[in-house]
Order: sequence, then C-alpha cells, then structure tokens
Amino acid sequence: MTALDSVSANTHLQRSAEDLLENLAHPVLLVGEDGKVEYANIAGQACLGGWILGLCFQDLFPDHLETLSISTLAREPFVLVSRTHIRFRALIGSVTRGAVLLSLFPDTSQAPALSSEGDELTGLLKRRDMNDRLDQVLSANSNSVAVHCLDLDRFKVVNDTLGHGVGDLLLRKVADRLRTACRKEDHIARVGGDEFIVVQTSVADAKDAERLASRLVDLIGRTYVLSGHTVNIGVSIGVALGEGCVVGRDLLRNGDLALYEAKRAGRGRFRVFEPGMDAALRERRELEIELRRALALKQFEVHYQPFVDLSSDRVIGFEALVRWNHPTRGRISPADFIPLAEETGLINKIGEWVLRTACTTAAGWADDLTVAVNISPVQFKADTLVDSIVSALGQAGLPPHRLEIEITESALLDNTDSVLRTLHALRNLGVQISMDDFGTGYSSLSYLQKFPFHKIKIDRSFVQSAEAGSDSEAILRAIAGLGVSLGMAITAEGVETIEQLERIRSEHCTYVQGYFTGRPVPADRINSFLSP
Amino acid sequence: MSEPLYQLVYYSRNAIRGDETAFAKAIAAILTASRRNNPLVGITGALLFNAGCFAQVLEGSLDAVEATFERIQQDERHGDVSLLALEPIAARSFSNWAMGFVGHSRENADRFAAIGLDSGFDPERLGGQRIHEILRELVIQEEVVAA
Ligand SMILES: Cc1cc2nc3c(=O)[nH]c(=O)nc-3n(C[C@H](O)[C@H](O)[C@H](O)COP(=O)(O)O)c2cc1C
Repeated sequence: MTALDSVSANTHLQRSAEDLLENLAHPVLLVGEDGKVEYANIAGQACLGGWILGLCFQDLFPDHLETLSISTLAREPFVLVSRTHIRFRALIGSVTRGAVLLSLFPDTSQAPALSSEGDELTGLLKRRDMNDRLDQVLSANSNSVAVHCLDLDRFKVVNDTLGHGVGDLLLRKVADRLRTACRKEDHIARVGGDEFIVVQTSVADAKDAERLASRLVDLIGRTYVLSGHTVNIGVSIGVALGEGCVVGRDLLRNGDLALYEAKRAGRGRFRVFEPGMDAALRERRELEIELRRALALKQFEVHYQPFVDLSSDRVIGFEALVRWNHPTRGRISPADFIPLAEETGLINKIGEWVLRTACTTAAGWADDLTVAVNISPVQFKADTLVDSIVSALGQAGLPPHRLEIEITESALLDNTDSVLRTLHALRNLGVQISMDDFGTGYSSLSYLQKFPFHKIKIDRSFVQSAEAGSDSEAILRAIAGLGVSLGMAITAEGVETIEQLERIRSEHCTYVQGYFTGRPVPADRINSFLSP
Repeated sequence: MSEPLYQLVYYSRNAIRGDETAFAKAIAAILTASRRNNPLVGITGALLFNAGCFAQVLEGSLDAVEATFERIQQDERHGDVSLLALEPIAARSFSNWAMGFVGHSRENADRFAAIGLDSGFDPERLGGQRIHEILRELVIQEEVVAA
C-alpha cells in the first residue's frame, strides 16, 4: 500500500465514523471549553430544538447549574433536563483541552421533572409561574421591578398565510430574541398565542426599563428568515414600573393599559404606564357606549361634498361624509370616532347606514350625478358587503354606475385576495371603485396593478404643499401621469385656493374636490350647487 | 453533501460607537467570530464596510444561513438590517472565504473608484445582485493583492 492509498483509506474511514456518529439513535453533543455546543448529531438537534450549534450548554439545560467539566463530574451517569423538557441520563467523555463529549439517553423512567410547567413550544414560563415569580420579586424589592407586556403585531397574518408550522418557528425565534435581550435574572413568559410578559429585575430607574423595552422593539422587529421565507413582524409593549406596587395583578393591569396605548399610538413601539391612562381608557369606554346608542338616537347625519370635472367645470357628483352631532359634546370629528368604530366593529352598522342614506339621497338627484361612499377596511372583512350594497342600491332604486365606493390602501393590506374578489364582484355589478388617500400609507404601486380602479384620489397633503418646483408637485405630476397611462381618472383632494386649482389643472388631473370648489353640505342644500 | 445551497444578501447601518480604534477592534472581533463559526457550519461569504453601512453575503445550506443570519440579526453592533436577497444558488461565489472582508481603507479607495463606488456606497440603490457582484469582485481583487 502506498502512502497515498493509506491516506485515502483513512479519510474514508473517518468519513464513515462521522456518518455513524451523525446517525446514532441517541443524542451526542460536543461542548467546548467555553461551554458552547460545537457539535450535535441529528438526534441531538432533533431532541434539543433544532439549530443548537453555538448555544450555551446552560441554555439548553437551564436547570443544570454547575459548569460542565470532566473534573467536576464523576464518570457516572447523571440526570439532565433539557429546555425542551426531556429528561436524559447523561454520560461524559473528555476529548481535548477541556472539551467534553456528552452522550444523552432519554430517561423515560420518570415523568418530566421541574420545568414541565413551561411553555412547550418556546420553553418560556407559563402565566401561572410568571405570576408567582412576579409576586416574589415584588415582595423582595418592588422598586427594582418592571413589567413589560408584549403583543406581536401582524403575527396572525404570518400564521394565516405561511401556516402554523412557520408561525411556531417564528414564536421560537421571538423567544430566543427575548432571551438574548434579557438578563438571566429576568423572567420571561408566553401568556397567550402571541403575547409575552417580561418581568425585569434589578431595575435602577425608569431609564433602565425604557432601555430594555426599546431594545425589545428593535430586536423583535428585525427581519426573520424561516424555512426560506422572510418574515417581518413588530411588537407593541406596555411597561409598568414596580414603584411601591406590591401586587403583581395591579402591575400587570397597568402594563396592559400601557400596551393598549402603545397599540393605539400605531404599534411597533412601547409606552410606559402613566396614571392618566386609566382615565383615558374610561373616557374611551364612555364614548364607545355613546357611539353604540348614536345610531338609534339618530345623531348621525350625512353631508355631501361636490367634486368637479375639470374639463367641463361642472359638478359631477358628491362624496358622502358622516357627521356625529353629539347632544352635549357638539359635533365630533370622524377622525375621533371612526377609529373607535373600527376597533369595536360598530363601523359595520354605521357604514351600512351611511351607504343606504347616501343611495336614497342620490336617487333623488339629476340622472348623471354620482355619490361616493367610503368603505372601511373592517367592512371588507365582513362577508356581507356585496349583499348590503346590492340591497342598498335596490331599495333606493339607484343604478349601480351612480354609486362609487372609496377604499383606502389599508383595505388591501390584509386578506388581499378576498378583498380583490369583493372588488371585482362590485365592479361587475357596475359600481365604480376608487382608491382614496393615495400617497399616504404604503402607496404600493402593486395595488394599482392588482385592480383596475376607476379613480385614484391624491391625498390632500400633496395638493396643499405642491408649490411650483417642490417634491410634492413632482409627486402630484407623477401620480397624474400614472393615472393617464393606467386609464384611471385622478381626483385631487383638498383644493382650497385658486392657485392650487390652477396648478391641478396644469397637472392633468381629472377631477377636484375641496373647499374651493365646495364644502360639505347637508342633503337639503345640494341644489344650491346645481342651479347655475 | 448534496444539500441545496442558498445565498443571503443584506445591508445594515453601523451602530458601533467610538473612535477608529474602537471600530477596528469591533470589526476584528466580528471577523474572528465569523472565521471561527462559519467553517463549522459550512458558511462562506463576504462582508463589506463603507460609509456607515455593512453589506454581507452569506452562502451555505438554508439551515446554516438562517441560523447564522439570526445570530447576526441579534447583534447590537448594527441596526436597520435590510434583507436584499435570499435565494438558491448553483455554486458558491466565495468558496475560499469563511468571511472575506472589504474594508474602507485608503488602498481600497482606488478599487472602489474603479467600480464607481467612490461617491459613497448606497446599498439601497444597488440591490442584492449588484452587492453580490461588487463583493465578489473586491474579494477576488483582494485575493490577488494578497497573493
Ligand atoms: C455586520 C456583522 C456581520 C457578522 N457576520 C458574522 C458571520 O458571518 N458569522 C458569525 O458567526 N458571526 C457574525 N457576526 C457576529 C455575530 O453577530 C455574533 O456576535 C457572533 O456570531 C457570536 O459568536 P461567538 O458566540 O462565537 O462569539 C457578525 C456581526 C456583525 C455586526
């Protein structure tokens, strides 16, 4: 045998030894001197939660507190419980310079010990254990405690579109990131599908808690790569500081209130609890109760704002705008009650009422006038939208082509396919469809490609800041050009002065709407626009 | 070893604070960790630093790419990580490099200039494919220079 032959025979032997090790039925781990896993065979990875190379031994076996070393452990089997709650008998062998080779044999003789209480998917605490630990740390020194209530944003979309498998992987990675950001003494729990609680200890001051919260918002909001998919989610966090509070339940309630505020402020951020939040919430609850009654008490009213065809300078239709005349608070702006109506689902009833009222009113107008009605994204989620529209048109005796519905981009964000189906059904009926507030939100051009809108309404902000030569003017011109080439009409909203009107004219917009061409008026004053 | 190969390209904003020595130290630490960890899991690639941004290509099995990226993603030394590409590839582009590095040095400036990057490196406009090409070109040049 030549030297060369022996070398290749050797590597051959090595390779098959590696294969054997890799395919052994029981887990084998190599833990380096620094306590990190350098190797895990297939069984090891499967039992211990997937990709574990580089993780600390301590993280994999959180209940095993001594450092792992050949000298401190007898060469006898000992018990290890993994973070995945599997109980093993472990045997140890040393390799070189402090590295340790572990053979693990699943121990089925005893029921899983200790940490069987944990959350199976993520290995985090469950709510009950978290509550206990929270009360413990509060009674020791409540001033050094902060509670962070976390709620993932858009998790449901991931679960619905990519499946539960990916959703579960995502939750595990979120849990990992939480562990990365927190200290060992902190307690982390998963308390609902996509809700987590962090009990932060050793908090010196409010800044400490804010630092962790902002780190969590950043870290959890970073892109995930899961089975080849890239996934983006965010997290909203409510923070409550211990500050003399000794009852965990109160602290958690404060954290939840702050979380609620964080979500209302637009998600993907944290809010620290302030005493006023209680009152703010109470206030909203009252408004909600009143909003529920408002329909029955006939406090809503529809006003109509004209839009004008720039080629003929004639009014060709009106947008229906809802008003709430509150008996004691006066007129409440839609900006103040529509979000609440959407959150509570009341928008479905209010929206339907506006639709029926607008159709009935428009049926009394001259033949060629259209009425435009805003439809909230929430209304698209109900299966009944097409039916309501058909029935509203039928009852009013309004031909479909005289109704225009306005949707915002956010309607297309979730459940795009089902929304597109609804839009096509409406288009087939003959109803006109326009994209509202274009240029705010995401302004994704792909939406314009996905559906043949009749009309794009450019947001007022571009019209109002469109001085000659400005960015807004360039955007205005670009959107108008886009409309021309896509065969969609363009409405410029928010036109207030003659200068703005002239500029719009020169940018090839099709229609204008704004105070300059007419403020919203009650139904009985519409004729004043129409008589010359 | 017939596991399919994947390539991931991202760029991010540098978040390392301090003076140039602190920065050089941090980069050295990142490269040491990369060159220690990447071979263990069959990752190769290249890292570019310029004008406050990192850009990196990682290639290897999907599992290894995902796990490595997840670790990098958690690193506080950078932020605003934007993923530009994640796709299967037929062959590695950086097979000799556990993590090739293209720094922002004076000698490099000429080479940046040669491919039109002297005016500052704006990864957002370049896109994954172009970053990949640039890194490949630079790493190969570096290889030639080193040889
Ligand atoms: C821009 C950037 C690129 C990095 N690239 C890698 C890499 O390719 N491989 C790697 O293992 N770590 C990389 N790191 C470092 C990791 O984030 C992490 O610190 C390191 O993997 C920890 O390794 P250690 O636990 O072995 O020290 C990178 C960090 C930054 C900021």
